[in-house]
Amino acid sequence: MKECIAMLLAGGQGSRLYALTQRLAKPAVPFGGKYRIIDFPLSNCVNSGIDTVGILTQYQPLVLNEYIGNGQPWDLDRLYGGVHVLPPYQKATGSDWYKGTANAIYQNINFIERYDPEYVVILSGDHIYKMDYSKMLEFHKAHNADCTIAVMEVPWEEASRFGIMSASDDGTITKFQEKPKNPESNLASMGIYIFTWDKLRKYLGEDEADPTSDNDFGKNIIPNMLDAGEHMVAYPFEGYWKDVGTIDSLWEANMDLLDPNVPLDVWDDDWKIYSRNSGMTGHFVSDTADVQNSMVTEGCTVEGKVEKSVLFAGVKVGKGAVVEESIVMPGAVIEEGAHVAYTIVAENVVVKKDAVVGCAKEEAEDPEKWGIAVIGEGVTIGEGAKVYPKAMVVKNVEDGDIQW
Amino acid sequence: MVNVNANALGIIFPNSFDGLVPELVQNRTMASVPFAGRYRMIDFTLSAMVNAGIDNVTVITKENYYSLMDHLGSGREWDLTRKRGGLNIVPPYAQARNKIYHGRVEALNSVVSFLSRQKERYVVISDCNVACNFDYAAFIDAHMASGADVSMVYERTEIPEAAKADNYTLTMNEDGRVTEILTNDYRSGEQNLAMNIYIMEREALITLIKDAMVRNLVYFERDILARNLQLLHVQGYRYDGYRARICSLQSYFDENMRLLDPANRAALFSEKKPVYTKIRDDAPTRYVQGCRVKNVLAADGCVLEGEVENCVLFRGVKIAAGAKVKNCVLMQDTVVEAGAVLDNVVTDKNVTVSADCQLISNGSPIYVGKGKKVGPRG
Repeated sequence: MKECIAMLLAGGQGSRLYALTQRLAKPAVPFGGKYRIIDFPLSNCVNSGIDTVGILTQYQPLVLNEYIGNGQPWDLDRLYGGVHVLPPYQKATGSDWYKGTANAIYQNINFIERYDPEYVVILSGDHIYKMDYSKMLEFHKAHNADCTIAVMEVPWEEASRFGIMSASDDGTITKFQEKPKNPESNLASMGIYIFTWDKLRKYLGEDEADPTSDNDFGKNIIPNMLDAGEHMVAYPFEGYWKDVGTIDSLWEANMDLLDPNVPLDVWDDDWKIYSRNSGMTGHFVSDTADVQNSMVTEGCTVEGKVEKSVLFAGVKVGKGAVVEESIVMPGAVIEEGAHVAYTIVAENVVVKKDAVVGCAKEEAEDPEKWGIAVIGEGVTIGEGAKVYPKAMVVKNVEDGDIQW
Repeated sequence: MVNVNANALGIIFPNSFDGLVPELVQNRTMASVPFAGRYRMIDFTLSAMVNAGIDNVTVITKENYYSLMDHLGSGREWDLTRKRGGLNIVPPYAQARNKIYHGRVEALNSVVSFLSRQKERYVVISDCNVACNFDYAAFIDAHMASGADVSMVYERTEIPEAAKADNYTLTMNEDGRVTEILTNDYRSGEQNLAMNIYIMEREALITLIKDAMVRNLVYFERDILARNLQLLHVQGYRYDGYRARICSLQSYFDENMRLLDPANRAALFSEKKPVYTKIRDDAPTRYVQGCRVKNVLAADGCVLEGEVENCVLFRGVKIAAGAKVKNCVLMQDTVVEAGAVLDNVVTDKNVTVSADCQLISNGSPIYVGKGKKVGPRG
């Protein structure tokens, strides 16, 4: 048996990332130069000593499945346990897509029972943070809790975007409100739960039997347990945590890596973030290049100017090209003289010569409509073409064309 | 069986030519000398074999092999963690009666019983002092087509000064059959310099080795091949591709620097035949505001704040603000502190150059040994 296993919810479509999630699930979206979002919770698991992880997939699982493979990059290729990708499957009584987060766990009760765990950690595949789950588990045990929810203080004005907990001084949760209009507290749920498995199994069963339920942890399981008087505690987390479910937050989280004042340190040898390696050779910065405040990884060739940007594996930036305040995902090519600013450039995009993509807010024709531009996977932006800020480009833009 | 794998097994000698770079091999073998930012010399040989479908590779170590074992592990990065074949590391085997081997003959003799149990028809043999993207599949095909007993690879080149005391050159007839093998050739001008890559039938190799042991012969090239060119059909196989031959600290430095040229990098690294290496899981390299980096090949995990020009940086190198580093090869986790000035320097792993130290050479590169701390000043 295992004392504690983790279940990672990775089925989200990530519809708000639209152009980036056309062909891959949100947890597989590239992040931080050489990672994908899912590397963070997975690395947290192994760094916390959790060696059994079930990954629940549903939407566009191909890239994610291939990426996880046998789990070796995270040291999760184990004889007993390890990482398992769990898509919905057909049963004797029919098959079901995962109807909600709770239903996804419910459908995999058999998987969990194989390890006979005392505790189960429920994680999301769309958060960037570093956290020691073993400390949270100690907290859970010390409080003799049935459920522990990781919380962090958020600014009051943002509180209505989150699931908000009210807790007494000893951490016992007294009230839970999902996205309240008038929040009573600013302790937001981080979507990280530890359950005593026996309790969770009971509530999953009851939830499944309720035809009116959304089968969702936040909407159903947590309120039901609270109403029934189960002992639920809030585990206060201090440090960096970001939901990267939107274009703006994904862009910001990448930029946070470049800010020495933000406590998200991926260079820390004591809490490494593991990823599947590109296998490319070292990157090259030519004598015509100027790279400032940026992250550059293997396989890149930089001949132009790169400022406050994150370049992923194999990215090429041509002579005279400028990349600023942008995220350029694996294999993308920014040709000579092109200008890319405040943009997320997805995998294998080609921005041709002298094209202009995005701009700074101050330079926007209409600052009201300004935002981060996104170029979807494999798209070519033609020579001299112009892509306005906040555009979401999923089709090729012809030479000289303008795309709003 | 599907014909994707080569009908050959590989044997690699990691310690050959250690003597040419005594500084670099104080704590390692030629095979584990770091090269080209994120590789070790053996990565090129191993990857080339694996890319040709050779999935049964034996590495016969001699000494100083800790770093090599650490690097190779179970062979996973090269896809050599196999039930059938895979990576086989042979540590030196010594008893009171017999000392650690000298030549290839003794070394090969230590694996004769292993060889006799294998199934592949051919054996390819290589050293690790030359980094190149060698096509073993084409070599095996050419050997089979030639009908020769042994094929050996050579290149047309001038013999590097440092290699003149340790080389073989070939003379061939018009059919490419080797008629003479010279040991430690010191002629100037272009010669047919051997690259120490061989192929022959496994059974034939076993017979040759057993026979040579009985006669107390030591060197495979000098004592077996060179003496039997009438009996054995030895065929020359010319290699014209890019290669980095390490035969001195200077050539080590020069060959790293040559990779700053994009054409040379493209010639050594091909997308279709990647060079595999041990993964360290470093974060990407961080360029800090105010840094000035020009013409640099860098691996992951570096933090660059100062000035860096014409350098090869291995994984985890840190260059502080105010430091100036020019024309240098800095191995893994080298730290250059503020105000230090380096020009024409090779630092080994884990070197720290203290603040305001100056290491400048106008001649051959300065070498700083593994784990050394330079300075502080005064």
